[in-house]
Amino acid sequence: MKPLRVSVFAASVVVGGFADVATANTVVGRLDLPPAPERPPVATKGFLDRVDNPLAPVKGVNVAANMIVVLESAEGKVETPAQVNWDLAGESFSRPVVGAAVGAEVVIKNTSKTARNLVAAEDPKLIPAGPINPTGPKSFRPTEPKIYNIGDKDAPHLKGVLVVVGTKHIATVDGAGRFDFGDVPEGSYKLRVFYKSGWIDKPDETVHVGAKGKTEVSVKVPAGYPLKK
Amino acid sequence: MFLSKIFFFLVTFAAAVALTVALVMPRPAQRALVSEEHRRLKVACGVINILLTDDARNRVELAGSFARTSEIIGPLDAASSADKLDDTRMKQVRGIGENVMKTIEGRKPDFAILIDKRGRVVARVRLDENDYGDLLAGRPLVDDALAGYLRDDLWVQNGTMYFVTASPVIKRDPPVEYVGAVVLGHAVTNELAQKLVGPLGVDVGFFLGNDTVAGSKTIALDTKPMEGVIGKLTGGDLARDCQANEPIPLTASKEPYTALVARLPGEATQKKAYYSVFIKRPDEIGAGATLKIVKQSDLAPGNFPWIFVGGTFLIALAGGIGLMFWEADRPLRRLTADTVRLAKGEVERLAEDQHPGKFGSIARSVNIHIDKLGRDAKSAKKDLDQLLGPAPEGSLGTIDLLATALPPSRPGGPATAAAAPPPSEFRFGESGPMAAKPPPRTPTPPPMRVNTPPPFKSMTPPLGQASTPPPPITVPPPMASTPAPPAMLGTASPPLTLDDDILGAPSVDAEPEVDPYFKQVFDQFVGTKKTCGESTAGLTFEKFAEKLVRNRDELMAKTGCRDVRFTVYMKDGKAALKATPVKDEG
Repeated sequence: MKPLRVSVFAASVVVGGFADVATANTVVGRLDLPPAPERPPVATKGFLDRVDNPLAPVKGVNVAANMIVVLESAEGKVETPAQVNWDLAGESFSRPVVGAAVGAEVVIKNTSKTARNLVAAEDPKLIPAGPINPTGPKSFRPTEPKIYNIGDKDAPHLKGVLVVVGTKHIATVDGAGRFDFGDVPEGSYKLRVFYKSGWIDKPDETVHVGAKGKTEVSVKVPAGYPLKK
Repeated sequence: MFLSKIFFFLVTFAAAVALTVALVMPRPAQRALVSEEHRRLKVACGVINILLTDDARNRVELAGSFARTSEIIGPLDAASSADKLDDTRMKQVRGIGENVMKTIEGRKPDFAILIDKRGRVVARVRLDENDYGDLLAGRPLVDDALAGYLRDDLWVQNGTMYFVTASPVIKRDPPVEYVGAVVLGHAVTNELAQKLVGPLGVDVGFFLGNDTVAGSKTIALDTKPMEGVIGKLTGGDLARDCQANEPIPLTASKEPYTALVARLPGEATQKKAYYSVFIKRPDEIGAGATLKIVKQSDLAPGNFPWIFVGGTFLIALAGGIGLMFWEADRPLRRLTADTVRLAKGEVERLAEDQHPGKFGSIARSVNIHIDKLGRDAKSAKKDLDQLLGPAPEGSLGTIDLLATALPPSRPGGPATAAAAPPPSEFRFGESGPMAAKPPPRTPTPPPMRVNTPPPFKSMTPPLGQASTPPPPITVPPPMASTPAPPAMLGTASPPLTLDDDILGAPSVDAEPEVDPYFKQVFDQFVGTKKTCGESTAGLTFEKFAEKLVRNRDELMAKTGCRDVRFTVYMKDGKAALKATPVKDEG
């Protein structure tokens, strides 16, 4: 699991350069993940239906890659946003789901050898027009909390979800369900879990972060990964 | 003629029906041809879909075999553990992949891609061979293969369409785990298209929107109609496009074609990938075009109902001829024979009742005309009698002799006047020698005038020809031994009888016998000449009598009349003499 964890942290969006170090704390936690749902049916079937291989069981959906966890201030404080880097690696994003704070600069870097024309379905003007050439970046700043589905019409399989929230405390989840927030100021927070295309439908978890020390959180995700309507 | 008309109507109606059928028949045939063409396209389209599906199954099996090759499992497992892929590893894996490709029999893939379990391209074989390290995960085919599925898809790369298949690469030594995936690609080429349609008798083309990717026939089809159909297709089972879609007309190099389009599955669907089965549209067949394509074998006795056609023709011909004979020829022949009998005088009128239909009408018309002529003749005779005075009994009348030659026969009865002599008009001075012997006496009085039939109108003497003569001085035929008094001009003398001529009159040897009738005529003639101021020098009774005798004999020989009556009259201021045959005996 080391490579996966490395990639997860590489894509981590939390950059706490501007946080108040004196009052910062670390929040670590673990999501109690139910069994992964079955893989969705083939969207682009060929002449034949896909068939299982006879040698090993088919792998389920990589749930963790499609999840993020956020800590939102219970007092509604708006915190200074951080820059978010999102790599476009070949035929997919480095992570299918990425979170960003409102006002944060989202930088998409094309590490593939193919130019892409990315557009947010919810707001075509979110991403500056024009292709993102190989190795070239393109940045933008979302101004409101929203879920954006970003894709390239020339590559229907290329899809990414940008989750814009009102907090900079955003963490990815590894394959075991673990997540880690660093530099969280003291206070009360609501912990929310995002999966694939929406927020997990569960009671909000309140996290009290002290002035010092590590805060540990354990969150149980309902079976079937239900999403809020 | 009624049946003939009915028959003619039926034959004409049958001919019109046959002509209509001949002109209309190509249209159902054309529709049947088009329907058959459409059915053929649908069948071919379905067969091509089946062939492509079968080909996909073979390719999936090939990908599975490729992925199970032991030589590639270890290198991919090692690559999956590496944080970064390098050129050396790429070349090593590529070499292994190339070697595996060489072992494939039959249709070899156009490319192979070896992917580690992270979705990174470790090596490419035969296509972009120097590219590696990019993330191919994200494409549904690769994601499914990395998850453990075998499947196929259609990719479009650089304007080329590929049938691609993928299989997971699984390390079978414990612990069993996925170490990557293999993707094989077969390009859609003209050769593949030709192979697909080989036995089908149609052509197929593969398209991406308005771009032609490959085809069994090098032809520039108008893709707009096909794009229009594809654009309207959303959702549904792509495999049923061949049955659900209808063939469409399109052109290629101004030549008409009929095409049936069906979407291609996989990722290429979103790039408007489809294939089209097409066939050249046959020329529309009309009656003329149908005749042009008739073969000699079509008219062979085994293929064409010559017996029926010939029998129908013969029946129609026989029916027509029979009806014509029955209703036209036979009645006409009968009428002709009847008219011949009428002309010969064997009958007085045409038998109207024996002639049906129009022929009876003709007979009636002729009979009506005969009756009219009779009435006209009577009227004319009456008029002449008023002008010329009554004709002597038994005479044909002066008018007969003034007219031209009588017809040999006339309708309405015996040709009593058929042998009527031509006009016998002469002047004494211009005549030949006179007969020395008087004509024989008729033993009976002059025949009575024929009461039937009246003379023909055409025999009416032209008044101009008569030059409006003064009332004729009719001299009746002489009575035997009772010469009429010379002063009795204009009155008829009793005719001489045969007995009187032969037995009654004693012969005188010394002196020629003087016929009192001739003498009477002579005296009247001389008297008239004197009246007209003409000279009578040289006019002797003997010459006069000789002339009368000869003229009488000639008339009697020609006409068969029994006697001749002579009439003196004036014409153009000169004395003239007429001879009138007396036919009947009264």
